[in-house]
Amino acid sequence: MLEIKSARKVFFKGQADEKIALDGLSLSLKTGDFGVVIGSNGAGKSSMLNAISGALILDSGKVQINETDVTGMPVYKRAAKLARVFQDPMKGTAASMTVAENMLLADLRSQKRRLRQGLNATRLAAYKERLALLGLGLENRLDTRVELLSGGQRQSLSLIMAVGGEPELLLLDEHTAALDPRTADIVMKATVRAVEALKLTTLMVTHNMQHAVDYGNRILMLDAGKVRLEIGGEEKKQTSVADLIGHFAVKTDRMLLAS
Amino acid sequence: MAMIQDIFSSFVALVPVTLAQSLILAFVVLGIMIPFRMLSFPDLTSEGAFPLGGCVAGVLLAAGQSPLTAIAAALIAGFAAGCCTAYIHLRFRIHTLLAGILMMTMLYSINLRIMGRSNLSVFGMESLFNWSPFGQPGFPSTKIVIAGAIGLLVLVLLYLYFKTERGTGVRAVGSNPDMAEAQGINVWTATIGGVGLASAFSALSGSLMVQSQGFADVNMGLGILINGLAALMIGEAITGKQTVLRQLAAPFVGAVVYYQLVSLCLAAGMPPPDLKLATGLFVLLMLALPSLKRGRAPGAAREVMRE
Repeated sequence: MLEIKSARKVFFKGQADEKIALDGLSLSLKTGDFGVVIGSNGAGKSSMLNAISGALILDSGKVQINETDVTGMPVYKRAAKLARVFQDPMKGTAASMTVAENMLLADLRSQKRRLRQGLNATRLAAYKERLALLGLGLENRLDTRVELLSGGQRQSLSLIMAVGGEPELLLLDEHTAALDPRTADIVMKATVRAVEALKLTTLMVTHNMQHAVDYGNRILMLDAGKVRLEIGGEEKKQTSVADLIGHFAVKTDRMLLAS
Repeated sequence: MAMIQDIFSSFVALVPVTLAQSLILAFVVLGIMIPFRMLSFPDLTSEGAFPLGGCVAGVLLAAGQSPLTAIAAALIAGFAAGCCTAYIHLRFRIHTLLAGILMMTMLYSINLRIMGRSNLSVFGMESLFNWSPFGQPGFPSTKIVIAGAIGLLVLVLLYLYFKTERGTGVRAVGSNPDMAEAQGINVWTATIGGVGLASAFSALSGSLMVQSQGFADVNMGLGILINGLAALMIGEAITGKQTVLRQLAAPFVGAVVYYQLVSLCLAAGMPPPDLKLATGLFVLLMLALPSLKRGRAPGAAREVMRE
């Protein structure tokens, strides 16, 4: 469960270029919910994700994950509860380390790291099995450094790393936006499979209206640092791409093209 | 022909002495490599931590303390110096290089304060190199065995450490700090501990050097950094850096080869004052090589160093 209560964040406070990123944003996701966040650029989507993950400290307001107040917790402590996949495939993996080492890093996200052997036979076998689910052949490249993989492979790896260890909350930050359509499709399908199989509470940011319509059980539209519209349940099933675009204050061709 | 023979024979005569020296200085190279390659934290502290270790050990040895006490104290002092550099960088967001320059400048005064004067003789005092079970105390062979054994021990321990769960986490901090943090790794602890450890190795080198040469001097660190970098570049060219073991072996291999090359240059008649210029040009060449190969076209993504 995720609960954000009247989150407020102002950048460059008191200066000419003051920018209100989050303006009393409140939101709640029940355990097992798959929320899709849409909104135009500057609506506060990234700020919201950063506030949840801890990269952004709120001016006021509260963030709760499964009854634990994480508002003042640093990023590395929140990591025990949540996992995040970034838009940029380079951000979510350690480039100079091998696929297996990256899996190990993610595997220990919510545990204490000890002075014992990291990669052992049991772990390697488990990683192999999990990577095989993608069908990209990554399971045979455990000793390859991640920098040698393609963007799509890296992003798929980030996803497998994020859903492993069953985080209490999964954050997807336009995680297919930088990929070619075919790879984006593979990653998106793998995401949905993992989220459904593990019943993960998920929050996905996307600019792709078709994805917003197709996936998840709730749509949250952000505008000027607030949730402007919420569509859930039966209503969500009836919603079309055209309906969604109609809700945007500023219509751009890009949205139509993207869908 | 006779000249070449002369050069060769004087070089060969120096091989054992140089080898002993290079095995001791290999720890500084290690102290440069760990922040630079494992933590992406280009660090200059070693230029101050090396004499710091020497001064601390020198004072304790001159006071009649055991060499082990002297070395332990040097390690602790070096560790503290490294921790300060990392803290200055993290807390005040000062560039790593500037943080290192600040530390090494301040350490110069601290080193003088510790010794109370600019140099100190510990000749004839108890030394680790007198403790060899075989070989004559004080001779190069003894130093080679003892320094080599410590080096091997450190290499094995570091290799095992970087393969543990915690060690893998530390390497992730160097590879991608944001990602490491998102995977629950405390970047501050890893950086401060890692840079501290590296400076402890530089100080260890200083303390061994004092015991080897029989005196401590505040200026003993002068230019050690550029020598260490040159040794590291050579080492990496030989061993490569694709795996943890290769990366860890590079400082040791590099130090041995580099100091033999220096010795060869000196034997061939290069005036000692020109040595730093030659070393500097060499490091520049090694660092410029990738860019020269690429030509002037914009290159592929380069390693990102922390600012």
